[in-house]
Amino acid sequence: MENGTLTQSEGKDPSVFLGEIIGHPVTVKLNSGVVYKGELQSVDGYMNIALEKTEEYVDGVKKRSYGDAFVRGNNVMYISADS
Amino acid sequence: MADVGDEGNAVSEPLDLVRLLLDEVVLVKLRGDRELQGRLHAYDSHCNLVLGEVEETIFVVDEEDEDEEIKTVSRKSEMLFVRGDSVVLISPQSRS
Amino acid sequence: MLFFSFFKTLIDHEVTVELKNDIQIRGTLKSVDQYLNIKLDDISVVEELKYPHLSAVKNVFIRGSVVRYVHLPANAVDIPLLEDATRREASNNAGKAK
Repeated sequence: MENGTLTQSEGKDPSVFLGEIIGHPVTVKLNSGVVYKGELQSVDGYMNIALEKTEEYVDGVKKRSYGDAFVRGNNVMYISADS
Repeated sequence: MADVGDEGNAVSEPLDLVRLLLDEVVLVKLRGDRELQGRLHAYDSHCNLVLGEVEETIFVVDEEDEDEEIKTVSRKSEMLFVRGDSVVLISPQSRS
Repeated sequence: MLFFSFFKTLIDHEVTVELKNDIQIRGTLKSVDQYLNIKLDDISVVEELKYPHLSAVKNVFIRGSVVRYVHLPANAVDIPLLEDATRREASNNAGKAK
């Protein structure tokens, strides 16, 4: 087991990670395969997500932009910090 | 329109974004390749919705067509309750 | 509770319930419960030729979870009242999903 320097969110709850990336650019992938990229406004315990400056990608192709977008949590596969 | 005042304008949880869209025209993406545009009159924490003056667009793959082109079917409804479990995304939308 | 109360105000009105399997059933709303299960009377099936198997049925109980839409008569909906009730429900539920 290698024990390097811990980055901020390692060894903590997933919700701590989510709290740390609020305000940052993220990628959200849905179970349908659709991907949303935007700035994470907020997340709740159901993984409902509010995004700003959202771009929608289907099969890697940009389809549309939304100013704000609310995504219902049950559709979310993952949330990833872009940086 | 109550936007400032007792309920405040802070977007601290995702559903606050939806609260700010009350009485506004929204775009709702649903499961099963469907979209709705209409004025948001009600919602709850399950994302059950009531929309007024709704236009629904259904995207269907034409299997007769060899290229499997995507057709759209459009329907209107004056007042529509939408069950939350079909909802994928809600976004503000000025009517085109 | 918002939509349970809302549907109770629509009892005895004509509605069209669209199911997730695309079947549409029109009828008089007779009863609703907290799960938004729905009872309809005097039903007819939209596009009966496509879905003939309900043509002999007079009333139905629909499990809430199979509903996609309920098309409502706009004149039976008090929009300002509904929007106020929504804001009240929203402030009651604020922070619950944290």
